[in-house]
Amino acid sequence: MSANFAERLAELPQYLSAHVVLSMCALLAGIVLSIPLGIQAARRPRLAAATLNAASVIQTIPGLALLALMVPLLGGRIGFLPAFIALMLYSVLPILRNTIVGLQGIEPQIREAARGIGLTDRQRLWQIELPLALPVIVAGLRTATVWVVGAATLATPVGATSLGNYIFAGLQTRNWLSVLFGCVFAAGLAIVLDQAIRLLEIAARDRRRGLAIGVGVFLAVLVAASIAPRFMTPGQAGAVAAGESPGAAQGIAGQTVTIGSKAFTEQYILGALMQRRLEEAGARVVRRDNLGSTIAFDALRSGEIDVYIDYTGTIWATVMNRSEPAGRYRMFTEMSAWLWAEHGILTLGRLGFENAYGFAVSREFAEAQGVDSLEDLSAIAAELTVGGDPEVFARSEWTATRDVYGLGPARTRSMDNTFLYSAARDGQVDVITAYTTDGRIAAFDLTVLDDPRGVLPPYDAVILVSPQAARRPGLAAVLGPLVGAIDDDAMREANRRVDLDGDTPAGAAAWLGERIAEQ
Amino acid sequence: MIDPARPVLDIRAVCKTYPGGVEAVRRVSLQVARGELLALAGESGCGKTTVLKMINRLEDASGGSIFYEGEDIAGRDPVALRREIGWVMQGDGLFPHLTVRENVAIIPRLLGWTAGEISNRVIEMLELVQLPVNAYGDRYPAELSGGQRQRVGFARALAGRPDLLLMDEPFSALDPITRDSLQQEFRSLQAELGFSAVMVTHDMAEALIMADRIAVMADGEIVQHGTPSDLLANPASDYVSGLLETPRRQMRAIRELGA
Repeated sequence: MSANFAERLAELPQYLSAHVVLSMCALLAGIVLSIPLGIQAARRPRLAAATLNAASVIQTIPGLALLALMVPLLGGRIGFLPAFIALMLYSVLPILRNTIVGLQGIEPQIREAARGIGLTDRQRLWQIELPLALPVIVAGLRTATVWVVGAATLATPVGATSLGNYIFAGLQTRNWLSVLFGCVFAAGLAIVLDQAIRLLEIAARDRRRGLAIGVGVFLAVLVAASIAPRFMTPGQAGAVAAGESPGAAQGIAGQTVTIGSKAFTEQYILGALMQRRLEEAGARVVRRDNLGSTIAFDALRSGEIDVYIDYTGTIWATVMNRSEPAGRYRMFTEMSAWLWAEHGILTLGRLGFENAYGFAVSREFAEAQGVDSLEDLSAIAAELTVGGDPEVFARSEWTATRDVYGLGPARTRSMDNTFLYSAARDGQVDVITAYTTDGRIAAFDLTVLDDPRGVLPPYDAVILVSPQAARRPGLAAVLGPLVGAIDDDAMREANRRVDLDGDTPAGAAAWLGERIAEQ
Repeated sequence: MIDPARPVLDIRAVCKTYPGGVEAVRRVSLQVARGELLALAGESGCGKTTVLKMINRLEDASGGSIFYEGEDIAGRDPVALRREIGWVMQGDGLFPHLTVRENVAIIPRLLGWTAGEISNRVIEMLELVQLPVNAYGDRYPAELSGGQRQRVGFARALAGRPDLLLMDEPFSALDPITRDSLQQEFRSLQAELGFSAVMVTHDMAEALIMADRIAVMADGEIVQHGTPSDLLANPASDYVSGLLETPRRQMRAIRELGA
């Protein structure tokens, strides 16, 4: 527990500073965009209606969806930019609406008095209208601040570092301390920024220059402290590159390699494993964890990440949009050829294990219902509840299984992968979609049902390399030895160590690395 | 420079036609002599406020011309013109986020006076309206009574030493006792400072008590123009008699009580 706490604490400077920079940049841009727009719109009812409608529509898009949409809109870019744009758009509505409402709410008499005694348009705006509307505008700004700081935790799946990294990683690895870290610091940051803005408003209202300067200095220090580490990293990288390392001969030493991973335990472990090997070869590694499934692929295609692990069946179904079944070798060969021809993506090879989608039930359920294959489920489909991870019910694996085995009448429930296995163990759902390498299948005494008609495609884990990185021979040389080196048992054991024993992904990767070396 | 015999304000056949063809003001001509108080009286919608707003170009005339201190205002910058002419409105029109001191200082500040001049002028003006700066200068409008606010309104309008003061129903939001005492105070203020004034009012009694001359308007036109005693002696129409009937009846009633 205390080791876990120390590790989380060590991550804090990076996550918190990235969160501060991301949310403050988005808010600042939101202010710069919304207040002038609101001033213009307050005088033009039609512009006001149009801008408010547009901002309201953006606001109704769930935060995670808005963030995810930015990735394809920016041509597959991940990281700061899509998160920044989405959060900025998110901040527009409250600031814009309150600017318009605040300015329109000023009594006509006061406006007329200001004109009548001889203030110019600009003087009326700055000396009378904005000061009078300020409390309403600030209320909007505070709402936007709380929203943006909260929504920034959702930036993790699009590859932007934030306090959300604690939450997403913690959720996937059942590390509740990590989730708690993310929640507490995100909430704390929201409260601190909210209060800072409140104090600035008081300072403006009561004309307390000292207070304004104090809060200003605090915010400046917060931002400076958050930005500073970014300028320090290249220096440290240089220091590492200067040292001689065994990988120098392979041409990877001193280079930066960006490793992507999706948001589940196995991906974290494999990311850490690749990181170990690359760092041993002298490369500088940047991790982009917790990417959404298709976001990881888009990021690889555009070169935002250099390498990540995906699964043949996933590429087949969700990237190539193929729905017909195919055998293991044919699928791998076709997929590799297609990725190379279409996108210039290099398939380095299969790691050796398969992480298939399977359907699992508790042994208790299997024995009581006399079920051991998917075919046995059709008779009791109407009484079944099927639990699945958030994406599976939209994927062809489920629709094909449902149609072939007559599971249409069953109820479906989506939940995070973390909760699926215990839900099946505790009888909260009858059947779950399970990753076949997950250590909890054995630990919770679950049974994976047979697929006699071969509906579910194979899911061989493969190393994919971006078009740019494919031209760097050193990368293939360092990661090549992983091909064929990890079998189902090894992967399942590594996953189990994290999910059940509370080991870290880095710890499990170290174990896996040693095991590979012994072979 | 200023010719005391020339009228401060000379309005010549001004008209105001709104888009859509509504004629709010039709060929109104008026003069205001130095130190004089002219009342524009009439029922709501008769065009009296529109005439007032054309004088400092809050509205622009559609026809005719207006001369202020001998100069056609059509050729003047509206903002500069408004700073030279005092403006008092119904309610008080004070800026709620500024203190009494800051409200009164705003026009001298816009006129670019020095800090010392502004400070002295604020003290002087607040003395004049009987709100000593030590007691009232740092209060906000919300901390004052209605009568006090209206006094600050006068102080603000007069702080820039205007030759002409425009007033739109300045006393109508006040209770009768405050109204009466402020009306008296206003006349002595005017006698002391010597400015000219145009006051819009729908209260004929107020016009009769305060004004040197009254212009009665109906449907955008002046229907009668004269001193209060002219109007009382020779109402030009039933409309004017009707407007005079209320104050007359009140006078009779009070007299009967006293008898």
